[in-house]
Amino acid sequence: MKEYSIIGKPTRNVDGVAKVTGEAVYAFDMTLPNMLYGKLLRSPHPHAKIISIDTSEAEKLSGVKAIITGKDTPGGKWGLWRRFPELCDQTALAMDKVRFIGEPVAAVAAVTEEIAHEALDLIAVEYEPLPAVFEPMEAIKDDAPLVHDDFENNINTTRHIEWGNVDEAFKNADYVREDRFSLSSQHHAPMEVHNALASYDKGSKRLTVWASTQSPYFLQLGLADALKMREGDIRVIKPHVGGGYGGKNSTMPDSVNAALLSMKTGRPVKIVFNREEEFTTTEHRTAMDIAIKIGLKKDGTLVAKEVKLITDGGAYTGLGATTLYLAGTFVTFPYKTPNYRYDGVRTYTNKMWSSSMRGFGSVPAVYAAEIQLDRAANDLGIDPLEIRRINAMTPGYSASGEYTVESCGILECIDKMGKRVKEKWNDLGEDEGIGFASFAYMSGGIFNWIDTPYAFSGAMVKVNIDGTVELFTQASDIGQGHNTVSVMICAEELGIGMEDIRLHPADTATTLADLGAWGSRETLMNGNAVRAAAAEIKKMLVAVARMKLGENIVYDLVAKNKRIYLELRPERGFSYYELVKDAIKQNDGEPLIGIGHYTPHNKGMISPAYGMGIQAVRAKVDRETGLIEMKDVLVVHDCGQPINPPAVRGQVEGSTQMGLGYGLCENMPTDNGLILNPSFVDYKLIRSRDMPTIELMEVPTYEPEGPFGAKEAAEATTSPGAPALANAVYHAVGAEFDSNVLKPEKVLNAIRAKEQKGKA
Amino acid sequence: MKNIMNNFEYFAPGSLEEALKLLSQYGEDECKIIAGGQSLIILLKQGLITPQYVIDIKGLSELDSISGNEKEGLKIGALTTHRAIEKSPLMQNAFCILAEMEQNVSSVETRNWGTIGGNIAHGDPSGDPAPVMLVLNAKYKLAGAKGERLVEAEDFTSGYFETDIGHDELLTEIQIPAPPPRTGAKFTKFSQLQGDYAIASAAVSMTLDADKKTCADIRIAMGSVAPAPMRAKKAEYLLRGKVITDDLLVEAGRMASEEASPTSDAEISEQYKRELVGTLVTRVGKEAFERAAMA
Ligand SMILES: Cc1cc2nc3c(=O)[nH]c(=O)nc-3n(C[C@H](O)[C@H](O)[C@H](O)COP(=O)(O)OP(=O)(O)OC[C@H]3O[C@@H](n4cnc5c(N)ncnc54)[C@H](O)[C@@H]3O)c2cc1C
Repeated sequence: MKEYSIIGKPTRNVDGVAKVTGEAVYAFDMTLPNMLYGKLLRSPHPHAKIISIDTSEAEKLSGVKAIITGKDTPGGKWGLWRRFPELCDQTALAMDKVRFIGEPVAAVAAVTEEIAHEALDLIAVEYEPLPAVFEPMEAIKDDAPLVHDDFENNINTTRHIEWGNVDEAFKNADYVREDRFSLSSQHHAPMEVHNALASYDKGSKRLTVWASTQSPYFLQLGLADALKMREGDIRVIKPHVGGGYGGKNSTMPDSVNAALLSMKTGRPVKIVFNREEEFTTTEHRTAMDIAIKIGLKKDGTLVAKEVKLITDGGAYTGLGATTLYLAGTFVTFPYKTPNYRYDGVRTYTNKMWSSSMRGFGSVPAVYAAEIQLDRAANDLGIDPLEIRRINAMTPGYSASGEYTVESCGILECIDKMGKRVKEKWNDLGEDEGIGFASFAYMSGGIFNWIDTPYAFSGAMVKVNIDGTVELFTQASDIGQGHNTVSVMICAEELGIGMEDIRLHPADTATTLADLGAWGSRETLMNGNAVRAAAAEIKKMLVAVARMKLGENIVYDLVAKNKRIYLELRPERGFSYYELVKDAIKQNDGEPLIGIGHYTPHNKGMISPAYGMGIQAVRAKVDRETGLIEMKDVLVVHDCGQPINPPAVRGQVEGSTQMGLGYGLCENMPTDNGLILNPSFVDYKLIRSRDMPTIELMEVPTYEPEGPFGAKEAAEATTSPGAPALANAVYHAVGAEFDSNVLKPEKVLNAIRAKEQKGKA
Repeated sequence: MKNIMNNFEYFAPGSLEEALKLLSQYGEDECKIIAGGQSLIILLKQGLITPQYVIDIKGLSELDSISGNEKEGLKIGALTTHRAIEKSPLMQNAFCILAEMEQNVSSVETRNWGTIGGNIAHGDPSGDPAPVMLVLNAKYKLAGAKGERLVEAEDFTSGYFETDIGHDELLTEIQIPAPPPRTGAKFTKFSQLQGDYAIASAAVSMTLDADKKTCADIRIAMGSVAPAPMRAKKAEYLLRGKVITDDLLVEAGRMASEEASPTSDAEISEQYKRELVGTLVTRVGKEAFERAAMA
């Protein structure tokens, strides 16, 4: 493999010092002169007609500067599925009825947060409660109340995928089993809550918004649709973001109402959700029921798979429609599936809506598939690793044209895992078990539901006379470290140092569109754009160097160590800085500007590349109390060429924590649509004391579609924690689960059920 | 949840005397004492209480101390933080149960602020210190304008967040008597994640006869399974005077679980908690027995 100067070397985050010292500015930290504080009045009902709203008392309160209700808004609807206008179902404030507890019905701007709050108490809303529906299987019944009048049976969207001849394959299978799983929701619980600061300039009629977002471009589009303005008149700036995890893709009522209130008052307005609002009125992971059937040959070869799935969508669409698509895809990964059929349904219910969350679609689907695979292996007398090995995808595998997997290290990952487990875990005690689960995920999505006419990512490199570089990209660093990755890629391509590059990220007015940080798309998609922009500059400098050298045209030149030189005779070359000066002078003083773009082509509709691997969890179960002790975790991971290894490790650890949390303790119980645990005391996140150790092993491959061979890293690792944990418990004490969240009582009941079955 | 506190008048007395004077002046009105604020501030933010006056006793340094030893017993000032107890060199041998208990109270951040007095005065049935105080036979010193009085830990909490503190009184000190010889004590709390509030907890203090086999005296306390921390007196009765065996401890656990009166919540059934606390009593009983035999 090629020796890089920067790529693959442990590199400090470009914004690390600012973050550690507290100097990094988040939207949460920002204020502007004359700024007002906005607050939202929220519905206490899951489903109700709004009869009247009386704001007169609140308006009299001193310090209140503006109050708006649905009728004061331009009424623009928005959503992320812009190719399907009927799925653009969000509004700034409820218009005629409310569809979930917490839906905003009015917004107030006041000189202090306290006054804004007090004003909310003075707004009188008369509701006529309507019958509500909370469960997907109830929602699709003919007599269920309709969440949206024009969506029959509350069906928000459906998805069918099929290849091969499924029925025939099942007939010919030696072994068929069907299992059902019910997967719950999970909250992103980011450190920084949703918040936005909007400033409208009445003179120019332009709006600027600073927000905690994963995609400035999506927010710009959402605001344009909501406010019925031109995109170009809206500037979105993403400062540092304190975590997104998929929860900050949609345009939410914080930014839209801050904008509306700013337009009304002519003053900057800031809306910050409190933690309870964050838990109850922002998006969360999609809960779903899954029926999954597989057919295998006696030797464990998978011949057919059929999956039926219904998701609990909640009141609006968000990225939940994408979740439905991705679940149908990643439930097959990373195994060769010759015959496959999928039917997915997303339902509307009277709850806060579900959407994308780290590994979206894949996390619940992989839970079902990986647990089922262990049961099948057990029945067929095949080792759990062996059944995964037998069916593992190989490089270039194509699922009937639906997707093609170029770089693919899953087999090496499984083999490495087998060796390491034998070596490290040969001392299994009583009531201890090992569970495995494979994982895979995309490097950005292709299906263009947002309907952008732009390239999926763009980057611009401007070189100053002294060789310093200004790198402009709209890519979003939301804590995953992409700012560092883009600077590394730019520096590697130009053969210069990271300190030579200043990054100008995530401002829609000054950078080229990028779809944002979701589905692990930034490294591959934005990385390619950055590399292409830098390559343009390199081309200009190489041309100058070639001319100065006067060498044969076929001799290759390289840019490395701040020089450009003949590859075969490194002493023949020039300093990068000298070449920049020459290039600008030669070109009549025109600055050096390179522009790069990336849009996937000929890669199907899913993703240009897939990261993957396998995880193992070692756990011990207390048979008397049902308590699970997570002892140790092993991860073997193929992310192509890791760009910044410590960042990969950090992401693997974080996503493993989240995946284990999904398996062990994170859930969002509701009562008639009311979320019962909206605080960090009651919402159970695994903290460092409870985290098992994680050993990470990389299996580097080279992904031809990615920058320097890179692809998705460590989003896929959100998926295996929960099923690997459940499989570990299964192998430890025989307990079987058809749902996630293995709280002690559930585990104890499952142990008892198993004992009963044993006796019977 | 509002997440915004209402306004109140704030006092920061510099001495116990001053604090008691303020209490006798405002105690009857909408008045609240604040110590570490770990429980109170949540209630204030949630708007569950809206006091007009808040008296901050953090400045009463005379209430922030630990003294004593194994022969004379311990005196712990009400303002002593959880963390200070956890780290105190006095928490040895028979008293190590206190440090062990503290290690698992929430997080270091909460333990750095939260006080033992605030915890006990709060009267939370799932609090960790109270069951330990019950088995250590502790007394609580209350000070008021009319003078001081001592209350048995056992009589102090009467129900959910209900205690014996008068509106003009402060909890000032916790007194723990010297344990008899051959005594061992152990506490455990059960939660899925470390440091979380207990789903159930159990504490046992056992004193053995000279034969180191027969239970001379025993106190068993359970937390989180009743409106207030409670003793399992039938289980105690079963063990007292008997040679301790594993079977007997299992039987004691079963009895204790019958004595408990937990309630189901959104996620955990009454039945599970009841069975669980029995298991905990058996396990903790065994460890207390082993400790007593070594003491
Ligand atoms: C995230 C979190 C997790 C927690 N986990 C646990 C846990 O696992 N186990 C556990 O036991 N506790 C737990 N707690 C609670 C915490 O340990 C105690 O309740 C807290 O230490 C109370 O002490 P404080 O000094 O902060 O009291 P404050 O919050 O200041 O006061 C609590 C109450 O006691 C009253 N009060 C305080 N001091 C006195 C006094 N000297 N005399 C009379 N009345 C007084 C106040 O008026 C108030 O009503 C947790 C708290 C938090 C925030």
